[in-house]
Amino acid sequence: MSASSLASTPAGGKSAGAGGSPPAPSAPPASVSTLNYLVRLLLLGVINAGVLVFGVTLINDGNAFLGGTIILTTLLLSVVLLRNALKPMRWMVPSLALVALLVVYPMFYTLYVSFTNYSDGHRHTKSEALALMAADKFLPEGAVSYEWNVYRREGAAEDDASAYALLLTDEAGGNFFAAQNTALETVPAGDPPEAFSGYLLLSGGDRFRALQVIQEMQFGPADAPIGIQSRSAAGEFQQRWVFDAARDVLMDRETGAEYPADNATGEFRAASGETAPLGFWVPTGFENYSRLFTSPVLRGPLVQVFGWTVMFAFFSVVTSFALGLGMALVMNKPFPGIRVVRSLLIIPYAIPGMISILIWRGMLNLNVGVINTTLENLFGWAPPWSVDPMWAKIAIIMVNLWLTYPYFMLICSGALQAIPTSIYEAAEVDGATAWEKFWKLTLPLLLVAVGPLLVASFTYNFNNYLLIEAMFQGGPPIPGTSAPPVGYTDNLISYTFRYAFAAGGTRDYGFASAIAVVIFLIVGALTLFQFRFTKRLEEIGENV
Amino acid sequence: MSENTAAAVSLGTLRRGGVSRPPSVGTILRVVFILVALIFSLFPVIWIISAAFNPSGSMVNQTFIPQNVESLDELLTNFNRLFNDPTVPFWSWMFNSLAVSGITTVLTVAMAAVSAYSFSRFRFSGRRALLVTTLLIQVFPNILAMVAIYLMLLQIGRYIPFFALNTHGGLILVYLAGGMGVNVWLMKGFFDTVPRDIDESALVDGATHWQTFRLLIVPLVTPVLAVVSILVFVGTLNEFLLARIILTDREKWTLMVGLFNFVSAEFTNDWGVFAAGSLIAATPVVLLYISLQRYIVGGLTAGAVKG
Repeated sequence: MSASSLASTPAGGKSAGAGGSPPAPSAPPASVSTLNYLVRLLLLGVINAGVLVFGVTLINDGNAFLGGTIILTTLLLSVVLLRNALKPMRWMVPSLALVALLVVYPMFYTLYVSFTNYSDGHRHTKSEALALMAADKFLPEGAVSYEWNVYRREGAAEDDASAYALLLTDEAGGNFFAAQNTALETVPAGDPPEAFSGYLLLSGGDRFRALQVIQEMQFGPADAPIGIQSRSAAGEFQQRWVFDAARDVLMDRETGAEYPADNATGEFRAASGETAPLGFWVPTGFENYSRLFTSPVLRGPLVQVFGWTVMFAFFSVVTSFALGLGMALVMNKPFPGIRVVRSLLIIPYAIPGMISILIWRGMLNLNVGVINTTLENLFGWAPPWSVDPMWAKIAIIMVNLWLTYPYFMLICSGALQAIPTSIYEAAEVDGATAWEKFWKLTLPLLLVAVGPLLVASFTYNFNNYLLIEAMFQGGPPIPGTSAPPVGYTDNLISYTFRYAFAAGGTRDYGFASAIAVVIFLIVGALTLFQFRFTKRLEEIGENV
Repeated sequence: MSENTAAAVSLGTLRRGGVSRPPSVGTILRVVFILVALIFSLFPVIWIISAAFNPSGSMVNQTFIPQNVESLDELLTNFNRLFNDPTVPFWSWMFNSLAVSGITTVLTVAMAAVSAYSFSRFRFSGRRALLVTTLLIQVFPNILAMVAIYLMLLQIGRYIPFFALNTHGGLILVYLAGGMGVNVWLMKGFFDTVPRDIDESALVDGATHWQTFRLLIVPLVTPVLAVVSILVFVGTLNEFLLARIILTDREKWTLMVGLFNFVSAEFTNDWGVFAAGSLIAATPVVLLYISLQRYIVGGLTAGAVKG
């Protein structure tokens, strides 16, 4: 969709003026303009029709939000493309479409998911979950049992699974032929025939290979399907899970247990407390948030994670800024080779972050890393970086200092150049020392220029996933956390990641979204603070 | 010009004024400070270069200067292993990274430039609201919406396989949207500094807005577009979380995801291979940064932050 609107923007912009060689104020000839309008209308109509079909398909699939957003976005953008008053916005159509669908929609969808129980086992709506469970068949005890032989239609394509059929022999010796979705056909008793109405008997290796394909398949009439139970036995299946809509109860016909639906938590729960294999997706209100703030199991690790997130962001900014400023002051006075030194100092900042972090991770290896082996040779002791929570945190802040201080060095160098020297002259007249000049003039003036970037850097580090994950994967682990495991150096964003995408664990999208919303709020507050700093919002007037 | 001279003069006064201690101590301190910073900054770099050329390839046996190297082939042991190990599709990762970052960069710069031009040159109702929205949106990193983005690609991918999970198309789409806000802002700022007289005279001569943009403004702001391109390119190249969520096949990974997973396995033994790969991947980016540092700083102060 974005590609087609991308193409239509420049074309629209150009042709709108193609007939208009006279100066801007006079309109292009009416006929050209009308033709152009009609072509545009036609193109948009085609695009809109396509999008509408796609959106409605999504809505029918239960993704009403996504389908609705896509349709609404397309309609709004079509208005922009058709109305002349909105001509300037035509330039932005591709960007607007992208931002609406992939930035704004995900923000609101995150908010929505955070108020639901969407997670593994609760991925489907109630009717979808029931439909999925209805496919679950079981072979009741005492059901008619058969021996089976497999047949294949002569000349069928290699991957055509519908070409298989079974010959079933019941305990009385009666033979029945069962193709797919057809009634059973009686066959004369006796050994299975080599061929039967265009089907050939498979035996030996062919039979074994066929078993791989047909063991999940159903044969015979659709309402009473027959399936393969074992290498030789087949039997008539029955639907295991039957839903009684009137009583809102799910029944397990295999065990006879009843699972009343709990529509508040999205589960089918038996009196014994056992739940059916699939729950369903329901809004659960503030459940995720109250879990986040009140669950005793979560609270301990969460307080630790939050504290570390703030500490990490704070110390990262303070240390990098201090060293960066120090270097900028030292480099402020020219000396031979300054350009080479400056270029060399930028290298850490230029290396792709992942690579630098992994290099540090190697160098800080406890047993064979160069830093620890050297320290042990010199002092007989080296910090247990990846094992001890405190040393792990120190290592991470140190690595971030290494990564970030060149940035502040560059920024501060620029800002120092911009401070008018007359101020220093006045201070000298007043007898200020170098120390006083730094604290009372340089630093305050510098902070005016660099302050917003400090806040931005804090915000960035607040959400710094790369460093945390690549360094120690959040470790060392906090004892008592297992699903998912949380570590002492996990920050909020990696904590969120673990709940949503941790390998092996339960994916709890609802809870992860709730954490994300909390981070949204914190970052939002920080940013408002930053905007007050820069008065950026107020600056957006009609002439900016 | 006169300002510069004044600055130079007063810098001189400042220097003379600042010398309250014997000059030699200050100079020595300064040199020590710079040397310590250089060692801190460059040691890991030198160490990884040394590791890349160490034939043993293991962290345990690494020496600062590779030992017992008798032939060029031996010096390149790690590179040979890197290129010939079928479980490490290094060139695929490299190619994926370059392709994803390259396409993202070209499309981002094109779309953002067009949008920024409109914001900079047109006055229309809703402009202020759109600008404020852009500003507010760009402060929320799209990694926070990772769950929603993941689910969205999952849902869309059932119908449009090109943008499904585990495709570069889907990843590029997410990157494009994520960087739009900040880049439109950055470019609008630069476009505002180009005098409007230039395009107004062109418009009076009968040029369309599109012609003005393409033939007048774009050539004028080419250096800016280049800087934004580099920032977008390197930023995309470095992105890890979304690439990790969206791409699941080893063959489709970007370099950062690939290196991370490679290292998670047998790091200390494959240290040399990792070093060789890192060297190949990092060198072009570092050279780009160093050669263009002056322009990049301008872009950085204007608002983009890289960690």
